[in-house]
Amino acid sequence: MPTITIDGRQYEVEEGQNLLASCLSLGLNLPYFCWHPAMGSVGACRQCAIIEYKDSDDAQGKLVMGCMTQVRDGGIYSLDAEPAREFRGAVIEDLMTNHPHDCPVCEEGGECHLQDMTEMSGHTYRRFRGLKRTHRNQYLGPFINHEMNRCIACYRCVRFYRDYAGGDDLEALGRNNQVYFGRQCDGKLESGFSGNLVEVCPTGVFTDQTFSRHFVRKWDLQTAPSVCEHCGVGCNTAPGARMDFSGRDENLRRVVNLYNRDTNGYFICDRGRFGYEYANSDLRIKNVLIARREQVIESTGRRNDKLHREIEPPAALEHLATVITDSQRGRRRLVGIGSPRTSLENNFALRQLVGPGNFFAGLSARDLELLHTLDHIQRDPRISIPTIPEIEDADVILVLDEDIGRTAPRVALALRQAARNNQRDHARQLEIPLWQDACVRQLRGENNPIFVLASSAPASLEDIARAQRLASPAAIVSFAEQLAARISATDQPTTTDGVDSSSTPLPDALEHLLEEVAETLLSARRPLVISGCGSQEPDILAAAGQVAAALADRHGAPCATYLTCPETNSLGLAQFFGPGEGGLEQLLEELRQRDSVDPPVTLLLLENDLYRRLPAADVESLFDRAAEVVLFDSLLQPCSRRADLVFPASATPESQGTLVNSSGMLQRHYMVYEGSGYIQESWRWLVDAVNDPACSDVGMDSPAALLRQWKHCHDVTAAIAAAVSCFRDLPETGPDENFRIEGMKLARQSHRASGRTANRAHWQVAEQAPLTDPDSPFSFTMEGVQYAGATPLQANIWSPGWNSNQAIHKFQQGVGGPRRGREPIPRLRREPTAIPVLLAKQRAGQKPGQFCLVPTWQLFGSGELSNYSDAIAGLADGPCAQLNTADAGALGLEPGGRLQLRMSGAEITLPASVSDRIAPGVIGIPVGLRAAPDLGAMLPAAAEIVRIENPEPVEPGESL
Amino acid sequence: MIASQLRSMWLVFRHLFSRNATVEYPDEKPYLAPRYRGRIVLTRDPDGDERCVACNLCAVACPPDCISLQKTEDEDGRWRPEYFRINFSRCIMCGLCEDACPTYAIQLTPDFEMCEYDRQNMVYEKEDLLISGPGKYHDYSFYRVAGMSISGKDKGEAVNEAEPVDVRSLNL
Ligand code: SF4
Ligand code: SF4
Ligand code: SF4
Ligand code: SF4
Ligand code: FES
Repeated sequence: MPTITIDGRQYEVEEGQNLLASCLSLGLNLPYFCWHPAMGSVGACRQCAIIEYKDSDDAQGKLVMGCMTQVRDGGIYSLDAEPAREFRGAVIEDLMTNHPHDCPVCEEGGECHLQDMTEMSGHTYRRFRGLKRTHRNQYLGPFINHEMNRCIACYRCVRFYRDYAGGDDLEALGRNNQVYFGRQCDGKLESGFSGNLVEVCPTGVFTDQTFSRHFVRKWDLQTAPSVCEHCGVGCNTAPGARMDFSGRDENLRRVVNLYNRDTNGYFICDRGRFGYEYANSDLRIKNVLIARREQVIESTGRRNDKLHREIEPPAALEHLATVITDSQRGRRRLVGIGSPRTSLENNFALRQLVGPGNFFAGLSARDLELLHTLDHIQRDPRISIPTIPEIEDADVILVLDEDIGRTAPRVALALRQAARNNQRDHARQLEIPLWQDACVRQLRGENNPIFVLASSAPASLEDIARAQRLASPAAIVSFAEQLAARISATDQPTTTDGVDSSSTPLPDALEHLLEEVAETLLSARRPLVISGCGSQEPDILAAAGQVAAALADRHGAPCATYLTCPETNSLGLAQFFGPGEGGLEQLLEELRQRDSVDPPVTLLLLENDLYRRLPAADVESLFDRAAEVVLFDSLLQPCSRRADLVFPASATPESQGTLVNSSGMLQRHYMVYEGSGYIQESWRWLVDAVNDPACSDVGMDSPAALLRQWKHCHDVTAAIAAAVSCFRDLPETGPDENFRIEGMKLARQSHRASGRTANRAHWQVAEQAPLTDPDSPFSFTMEGVQYAGATPLQANIWSPGWNSNQAIHKFQQGVGGPRRGREPIPRLRREPTAIPVLLAKQRAGQKPGQFCLVPTWQLFGSGELSNYSDAIAGLADGPCAQLNTADAGALGLEPGGRLQLRMSGAEITLPASVSDRIAPGVIGIPVGLRAAPDLGAMLPAAAEIVRIENPEPVEPGESL
Repeated sequence: MIASQLRSMWLVFRHLFSRNATVEYPDEKPYLAPRYRGRIVLTRDPDGDERCVACNLCAVACPPDCISLQKTEDEDGRWRPEYFRINFSRCIMCGLCEDACPTYAIQLTPDFEMCEYDRQNMVYEKEDLLISGPGKYHDYSFYRVAGMSISGKDKGEAVNEAEPVDVRSLNL
């Protein structure tokens, strides 16, 4: 490690690093704008100037840019030397000549990197008397506000948006000091990562529009580490909450990225950032609701719909307790339906209460089969599950029918970085440091090979893919099987028996690709296979597993394989069930076969909208067969209409719990704020019921009695670890409620949190004792340890002089390194098992003339919870049937036409949407829409087109 | 020793002839300078619009944390407090809010006579705080110097601003 001298003190620094990053890693304060830890240096802003001395005799030295200068062993530098300070001050003064007088009305104020750097450079007074240049703003969609006057032309926005995230609708326009960062015309920023501009831009040009609607300063946000609940990637987030206008409740104000090198680094996607508003939705349940007796009049409600009224929790709990007692006496059957969008703790509590035999996953059998297939593949020792930096490191990538940009967006962003590895290798050869961003990007060199096979074109891969082929799922499966065979076959022709001749012949386009893909993958040093549950086709997963296993065998090392799960805790939920168990169809079947002598059934439904899982008729019939339905949920979702009793459950930022992401990482989210009304974690309702006097008959030997021992969330976590062996590392996800730093809890509020004697004063001037938190290592107030640098539990990223999120380097083990104090994230500890011979199941083949219906995903529209967020809800496309242009032509479908499709047992009519982004012979059906939640439940399927309704031709001259 | 006592007595005696500093309050009210730090008001700009832009700086500066407000944005593009509350039963009249305020909105006045039998009455909302004039600073209007456009003041129309750039021109 080189040793350098800065202002007379010696330091050891990382070899090959630039001076700016080294200084920051050492904890020294050096201002900068254009450098970004994930994007490297371009030397554009001239803010990071320092003095470099030739040797110890050199008294004058020369001015160099810290971000552009590599550390030199024995180098002597000065940050404090007067010429350097003066230069930096002059640069800031120059930047500020045009800066508007906006801080008080700027959402960035208080966490503004420009403010911080101005302070740091000592510039205080505007001497320039000339005019300020001004700009007009643009409308950039429902997420981002634009205030161009505040720009300092550091170019970070376009470097992130275009170079890093591959967007092409934001650019640097204009010239000289009038350069403009925006779109060619007004319109929504198209990239799914546009929200990161809020954090990347060091000024208030791009700010969070949803946050602005209920804005408070960063110092007033109370926060704790959380995990994004909007997909299976499990990005770490720092939601911020604050007392609302009423002075009684707190609400969620925004979500920002929380640096965790292995899951999300510096960036999250827009669904994760703007999906939070569901927690403030008008549909939130805050009280316990009970169905009213009177029948809904047929004309105003649907059959069996129930109207609700509020009841006091003790009465509801007593009722639930009675039901539990009845079930213990065999007079009632309790059935629990779990959920992939809530924590392990909630699911486990329900399972413990009703018993494993009465616990169902709340997923269709097909969804569970998908998860089990995925789980099985991940268990194989030949498969390794990559972290985000490992994905960024891959050199050859194969994507098999997974729309990764919409089902696991953060992973797609990592793929973009992987595409540049050839360039980086080239730079290494030329000894160009990788942080020399502009230079590295100049290097010639093809993108790293990314091969995409998909039934519908995935988002944002087209421009980096070496080959993207659209084909039916069946063709992709046989392609992958033949690919696996070919990979294992080379040199060892003996091992291939049985995997070849039976497979379907490939279309030409794929046949040609086969050789190239096989060769490229074989020559790869760090190949990566990507697939997932998005195709809803277990064969696709199985085939991806085969390819990865074959590669691993050939390379003699595990093959990195990323398989996406649809929801935030899908993989965790699946661990509670053996293969073939726990599907909703099984429950329905059991209920159908119930004898009249069997006890009546009470369904306990946990945070799950079953209409997304099964065709509506099946869900109705499930509810019809239950004597009583008890729902625990945060939102009034469609199932609440059928519930007899509804308990208000907390949203993810209102609760503590563990989620298992698609990589099998166990991650804990902490309560950021207390939910309003009677909201609490679902498991607490169950515990409260078991502790109710009406339940006193439940004997200590009954499994349900275990619930009585749970007081704090960590108790449940520990119980899961003891009960289910793959979760045995759960307690390592975080400390229990007794954790203290020097005798103190961690403070959720900043030391500057304001208004504590006024927030509630209008309804009670006498201050109440602050809320205490017996359940976590955090306190709800500013009392406690502030900005604990050495624990990853710190979610408020702040350091003296660093009010913006750029302060993160104070919390890392060196710039870009892991968080200080961060242990490796614990993972599922599954029994290794070899991938079984996962031969494609003989499915009822597609008859000629039939189309294959495949699911298509939307970044904004397929996420259950994010669909309840205002900003996102407005962006979802409606239900439609996507058809290939050629097919549409052959069928005579005209624009605006509708398709009537018949599958086995169902018929649907949908407006058609024609494009080249879908494979021929395939019809794409959007899944997860709020408007048509159960479309996905029928997929994949073969269907024939029964009827085409073309729009009525409008007769010329016909008047309306 | 005796000398010192005599000297003290002389000094005290001399004060018999100096002017009274105390007055017969409340019958007689002393003069308080306009900069005296008493009851807080929210002022208006010279055009009669609310000055406060809900920037939260006063709230964060306040040592007893007795100011609470929420930003909202009006149709005309201005930031305003949706509510603005001062709990005067906590206020220590330190004037830090006034120091912090970038718009001269919040000002302390020479009125210190705030006695209530019910402490709850010491909680003032925006309606109670807002006065109709500009207080001590007659001319300042934040939005005339700020870069944000509001209705009636477009980009380029603030003090010291150039015409907005037309990105599509050559901008030589
Ligand atoms: S960008 Fe920063 S310095 Fe500029 S107005 Fe906003 S808060 Fe102030
Ligand atoms: S908009 Fe922000 S990120 Fe982009 S150049 Fe201006 S200051 Fe930098
Ligand atoms: S990629 Fe998934 S986990 Fe990450 S922010 Fe987006 S929705 Fe959330
Ligand atoms: S500091 Fe002034 S402008 Fe800002 S919130 Fe307080 S009174 Fe309003
Ligand atoms: S950070 Fe070094 S020049 Fe911009």
